Amino acid sequence: MTSDVKTEKIDKSLFEFAEYDSKNAELIGYSNYSYWRSTLQVFLKNKIAVILLFVVVLLLLFTVVQPYLPNQHSPIKINVDADGLQLRNLPPSSEYWFGTNSIGQDIWSRIWSGTRTSLFIGLTVGIIELIVGIFVGSIWGYVRKLDPIITEIYNVITNIPTTIILILIAYILEPGILTIIIAMSVTRWTSMARFVRNLVIIIRDREYNLASRCLGTPLHRIASKNLLPYLVSVIMLRLALAIPLAIGSEVFLTYIGIGLPVDIPSLGNLINEGRMFIMTPSLRYQLLFPTAVLSIITISFYVMGNAFGDASDPKNHI
Amino acid sequence: MKNNNEVLLEVNNLKVEFGGKKNKFVAVKGVSFNVYKGETFGLVGESGSGKTTIGRAIMRINEAAEGEIKFKGKKINGKISKELDREVTEKIQMIFQDPMASLNERAKVDYIVSEGIYNLKKFKDEADRKAKVEKALTDVGLLPEFASRFPHEFSGGQRQRIGIARVLIMEPELVVADEPISALDVSIRAQVLNILSHLQKERGLTYIFVAHDLSVVRFITDRIAVIHKGKIVELAESEKLFENPLHPYTRALISAVPQPDPIAERNKVIEIYDPSCHNYDVDKPEWVKIEEDHYILANKEEIIKYKEILESKV
Amino acid sequence: MNNKKNNEVVLSVSDLSIKFELRGRSLKAIRHISLDLYKGESLAIVGESGSGKSVFTKSFMGLLDSNGWIDTGSINYKGTDLAKFKNNKDWLKYRGGEIAMIFQDPMTALNPLKKIGHQVQEAIELHQNIKGDAAKKLTIEILNDVGIPMPEKRYEQYPHEFSGGMRQRVVIATAMACKPNVLICDEPTTALDVTIQAQILDLLKGMQKKYNLTVVFITHDLGVVANVADRIAVMYAGDIVEVGMAEEIFYNPQHPYTWALLSSLPQLGTKGEDLYSIAGTPPSLYKEIVGDAFAPRNPRALKIDYIKTPPYFEISETHKAKTWLLHPDAPQIEVPDVIRRLHEHFGGNR
Repeated sequence: MTSDVKTEKIDKSLFEFAEYDSKNAELIGYSNYSYWRSTLQVFLKNKIAVILLFVVVLLLLFTVVQPYLPNQHSPIKINVDADGLQLRNLPPSSEYWFGTNSIGQDIWSRIWSGTRTSLFIGLTVGIIELIVGIFVGSIWGYVRKLDPIITEIYNVITNIPTTIILILIAYILEPGILTIIIAMSVTRWTSMARFVRNLVIIIRDREYNLASRCLGTPLHRIASKNLLPYLVSVIMLRLALAIPLAIGSEVFLTYIGIGLPVDIPSLGNLINEGRMFIMTPSLRYQLLFPTAVLSIITISFYVMGNAFGDASDPKNHI
Repeated sequence: MKNNNEVLLEVNNLKVEFGGKKNKFVAVKGVSFNVYKGETFGLVGESGSGKTTIGRAIMRINEAAEGEIKFKGKKINGKISKELDREVTEKIQMIFQDPMASLNERAKVDYIVSEGIYNLKKFKDEADRKAKVEKALTDVGLLPEFASRFPHEFSGGQRQRIGIARVLIMEPELVVADEPISALDVSIRAQVLNILSHLQKERGLTYIFVAHDLSVVRFITDRIAVIHKGKIVELAESEKLFENPLHPYTRALISAVPQPDPIAERNKVIEIYDPSCHNYDVDKPEWVKIEEDHYILANKEEIIKYKEILESKV
Repeated sequence: MNNKKNNEVVLSVSDLSIKFELRGRSLKAIRHISLDLYKGESLAIVGESGSGKSVFTKSFMGLLDSNGWIDTGSINYKGTDLAKFKNNKDWLKYRGGEIAMIFQDPMTALNPLKKIGHQVQEAIELHQNIKGDAAKKLTIEILNDVGIPMPEKRYEQYPHEFSGGMRQRVVIATAMACKPNVLICDEPTTALDVTIQAQILDLLKGMQKKYNLTVVFITHDLGVVANVADRIAVMYAGDIVEVGMAEEIFYNPQHPYTWALLSSLPQLGTKGEDLYSIAGTPPSLYKEIVGDAFAPRNPRALKIDYIKTPPYFEISETHKAKTWLLHPDAPQIEVPDVIRRLHEHFGGNR
């Protein structure tokens, strides 16, 4: 290989010195990596998660749009026939697409109304949980002196069974959407706070945080600029999982009778009503439809949340 | 060198402990030294010697269990007033070891470099701040347009220079450099060392250079303190230390440093340090001055030995 | 030292190139390297981060990451082309028993939950077909061989009960227990203190002599290289830019990158003066490199450096460098002061 290049005629002028710009030396190491873009790319590679994302978005849009479609019945109106008799337990038909329940209400519209309510509760609780959890968790993890105090508070709260707290709150306040939101928020912020605290402890003593301390950066700016950005991906994962969990909680509470009152449709209420007919094959549809909707929501958020969690891990950005 | 013999930093009997009451680990066991204005003072030791802990105690990241640290005569460890705290934050700064870990990955270089002056409000307005950032970046050989980028877009050497820019913008008097080049490639180290030395000349900075690499330390420091397991065993003017290392640990350290000379290396015999060579049961060691600008931790018996060695060399 | 004529070639790499796929783009980490490894020699591969030195040697053992592959070329070992291996099974015959590797961090190389004696013994049982008590006896001999005091007692201990240097000795013992032909050491002393480093290097040199091993040292530390290497290959941006015997590289380097590497050593600097330094960073390997990869950082680059990649020019039978400066038509360049001083200062010892 060496020989043929040597014998090859090379123009002597090429052996002069080239122009040298030190600036070019500084620029050649540039790499174009963007964290969020890579996260998005890895997420989009997960076909199932993307499909479920579509499903959830469609579902959400539909719950909003449904009341404005033509020929929709009211979710709480008790439908009567020509003689004034309640149209109870009608199977799915062209008039009532999902049939009617035991007092004659249209299940189709009840499901969408109930999904709206449940999603609203789930989202609200999720966000409250997030804000309180991050705030408490960051302080808990970062300020060493407060660690033992907050740990004690945490231990006390978590040692009381959540069911008891929920029942207490349900007794004290009247059953309603606000009550259930308060009840769930009070018991659920602790796990998010603990989670955030553990993360903060891991990154608290990393060199870039030590550097900020040496530069005199105050706590609030360390929290917002140094800690929070690292928590964002983890937080979004937890939020995605919090929503189905909150809905599940609501279903459970309604199951044990301290959830929403019957006149506010929710997935919990619907499932509770439907379960009475589990032994009656012809009426099982009343359980099937709300359960199906709940399952779709839960599975979708769960899969998406996990896919996002994996995508936001820089180790997977290959 | 030490021009005015003005003492910038005094460390007296510093003791630093880690862990709770049960498993206490004493990292620094009573260390004392002075740092003069304008000099480069080297703190050399191997892992676990406590050298980084001393640097961090000076920066007040680690708490001093005993002893005091004085900056320009005023005590700066323990609880101090807000004004003194602000002065110390401004005047004493630190360059960290790992360029990959010491910058906030999610912040732009602009914020990273400005962080200190944001905290101390050391700028008049946005235009002034931008100008200061630009100057800091160009002073370390980076391009001003780098300010709008993120740390991960740069190489290790460039990131370390961003770390230096962040320190410079504060206009400090004393800079503690904690192994600033150990994590860098060989050819980049020279660049960073040159920058540090230029800045020292231009701004009259005083450096405390913490390192484990003796060959680097010899090149840039004026005086060196050798640390072993939390105690300073020898302190001398750099050249004197390399010409006449007296303490057996210093000798072992120097003999172990690899030289870029194949023939010398192949014929080298390394000295090994065995702590049991000291008999400190009865005759306790003290910190003594063995010759001008040369101190050593030794007991009476050893002092006699060392003095004999010095005399035989003259 | 080890003259090319007298020695057999143990491993022969020919026109090797290795690519990686990263975030949808491919980069060429190794760009057509050819290198011969001779029996019983110790070869040091010197390079900085991104030069490809680790990737290069990992390919000898099939340890490339899952997103990397050998694109062209061959790795000839005892008549077999290792570059053609497709699955793990093919590699099992060669890893350990023929070619072994030790890494930088001894803590992560050892299983923290297993006694170190068992870890070494496992290697013996796998590669030497000796089991049970005989294997244990051999283990204790090997532990003694690598300088671990009280080997019977330490056989029963766990990695966390050892210091860094001792752990690295255990790792070396595990590698030696396989009775390899070639030992690759990937920065074995970078994580160790200077005093321990000297001892470990001595140990490796001793092992090499005793078992007539062929050792490949990967490092960025030129002092370590001076200590252990017979022959040196300097890597930059995925290519070997200069290769020669240790004295030739240290006392008579020819490639501008080698000059820069040597000149930037503080041991060779004059106090009060600037150290010689190279501006900038190594090039991005995503783009096809045209000409000499080092040109953008070389203030004395020639025009042809930006156009055509230089071939190897021989300086002696054992010493060659890939730089247009050695072409007969190239202008005379003064060797940097530092290199001249190196030559005078140390060259006098020859």
